[in-house]
Amino acid sequence: MAEAALPARIGLAFRPHPIRRFLRRYPLGAAGAAVIVLMLLVGVFSARLAPYDPVAADFGAQFRPPGGAYWFGTDAYGRDVLSRLLYGARTALVIGFSSSIVGATIGAIVGVISAYFRGATDLVLQRLVDILISFPIIILAMAIVAILGSGTVNLILAIALSFIPRAERVVRSSALAIRETVYVDAARAIGAGHWRIIFRHMVPNVVAPYLVMLTAFLGQAILLEASLSFLGLGVSEPTPAWGLMLRGAAVDFVQRAPWMAIFPGLAISLAVLAFNVFGDALRDALDPRLRM
Amino acid sequence: MTRYVTTRFLLMIPTLLTVAVLIFLLVRVVPGDIVELRLVSGGSYVTREVVEAERARLGLNKPLGAQFVDWMTGLIRLDFGTSMWSGAPVSQEIGLRLQLSLELALLATVIATALAIPLGTLAAVRRGTWVDQAVQVFSVAGLAVPSFWLGILVILFLLGTLHWLPPLTFTPLWVDPVANLSQLIWPALAVGYRYSAVASRMTRSAVLEVLREDYVRTAWSKGLAERVILRKHALRNALLPVTTVIGLEFAFLIGGLVVTEQVFNLNGIGKLIVEAISHRDYTLIQGLMMVVAAGYILANFVVDLIYGWLDPRISYG
Repeated sequence: MAEAALPARIGLAFRPHPIRRFLRRYPLGAAGAAVIVLMLLVGVFSARLAPYDPVAADFGAQFRPPGGAYWFGTDAYGRDVLSRLLYGARTALVIGFSSSIVGATIGAIVGVISAYFRGATDLVLQRLVDILISFPIIILAMAIVAILGSGTVNLILAIALSFIPRAERVVRSSALAIRETVYVDAARAIGAGHWRIIFRHMVPNVVAPYLVMLTAFLGQAILLEASLSFLGLGVSEPTPAWGLMLRGAAVDFVQRAPWMAIFPGLAISLAVLAFNVFGDALRDALDPRLRM
Repeated sequence: MTRYVTTRFLLMIPTLLTVAVLIFLLVRVVPGDIVELRLVSGGSYVTREVVEAERARLGLNKPLGAQFVDWMTGLIRLDFGTSMWSGAPVSQEIGLRLQLSLELALLATVIATALAIPLGTLAAVRRGTWVDQAVQVFSVAGLAVPSFWLGILVILFLLGTLHWLPPLTFTPLWVDPVANLSQLIWPALAVGYRYSAVASRMTRSAVLEVLREDYVRTAWSKGLAERVILRKHALRNALLPVTTVIGLEFAFLIGGLVVTEQVFNLNGIGKLIVEAISHRDYTLIQGLMMVVAAGYILANFVVDLIYGWLDPRISYG
């Protein structure tokens, strides 16, 4: 019995569970993942966790400093900052995840198509990407918000659209190499059509760069959402969103009520930091060559 | 070399032309034009004739093709047209703000480079030590902290310690350097931090790569001093990718200062973009976007040229 158990245990020591291995090799990434999980929980259960209604104004309780009934103080409308922060996590996550997934996915598919067909298709797509990339991401997103109008769905679309050319670039370069592999030749030899080769053979093989990009986008998307909301082009009042909380009164009354500005900024920084360190660790674990 | 530079320079023209077409169409897709915005949504009652007359005055009643040709013939003569909102020449509107934004971008670049290159190199040389860890934390945080929030914190700090706020009006550097810097140094710090985070990460990985090269080992075995090896052998070669990052970030900065300008109430390009978009000021948006895109394309070009200067092995065949 003892002898039989031994090899198994050695085997376990040499090949730990991939998740456990990730935790041990990338402690910082693991910490990031923990914060992300915490944020997800906060986002899902914000209604249960928040002590107050995040949108209800209470003019008897304006500018209350942190402490007592209001842990993080209240804002210019007497709304509880903590409750708004908790609900804000939901906004940030919904916008961050949906825009990153939409942007990275469309970008990846276009990238693979561009690499697969090459020639004129590739040339036209690449010039288009060149142009879209020559605008700062925030300006691109601003322009798209201006066209579509503000609102949560349009904000998601604007952020997603600005990610597409960047995702396209990265995936295309991986796909160019995949196009030359033997299994793609084999697929072609047995008579598979273009779309079958693209979606069944090439797309699954760009999953590593895709995931790396996706996590990199998540942090950027949250930052972008906050910036656009801060400029008044994103989420609109009274929806609780971190960037929006920093707008207007938070700047005007920064000396009188600094907590209004400090806590939302901390929330944004922590969230983006968590996604970034997790993304970096994931990149190193999946494919170190993708180091950008 | 001359031939390469000329072709590379001329190739910017078709790219800019495509940018122009895209911007031209893009602004016109935006629902509601400036006439509607100014006359109708103001709440006042205006007749159809007035609206049409205003459209005609601004040239908005012409077919799209004609509007585009008008704009293009102007651009060739470097005439950006007049702002539909203020009536002032677009070049004047942009010129006023560009001075501030360019200086801010330059200051931020100087701060970022001064921080990033020493820090990145130090982290690479002391790899794995606490110094490296500290630099990494510093730069990872720089990517996560929103620059507008950092700006708010800077303002809070200035108010709290000095009971003072930076001046709100822009004074050119050559008129009064002290007034100029006391206004722009704070936003430059807020922006420069993020920028330095990007650049120091790049410096660290570039130096690490170079330190593994054979010629660095040779330099060590020759008994050269660490300072000489770093400066003459490692850093020089590592600067190549770092230059790219700095150059491209700089180009993005000119337009990307949007949020920071808002916090510090600076009248720069970023603020003008926000205003132009909200006013549906087609001519101004077009001019601004052309400037931003041209800046980026030009920066790319300059980075390419600097490459050749830093690394003579790159040939311009």
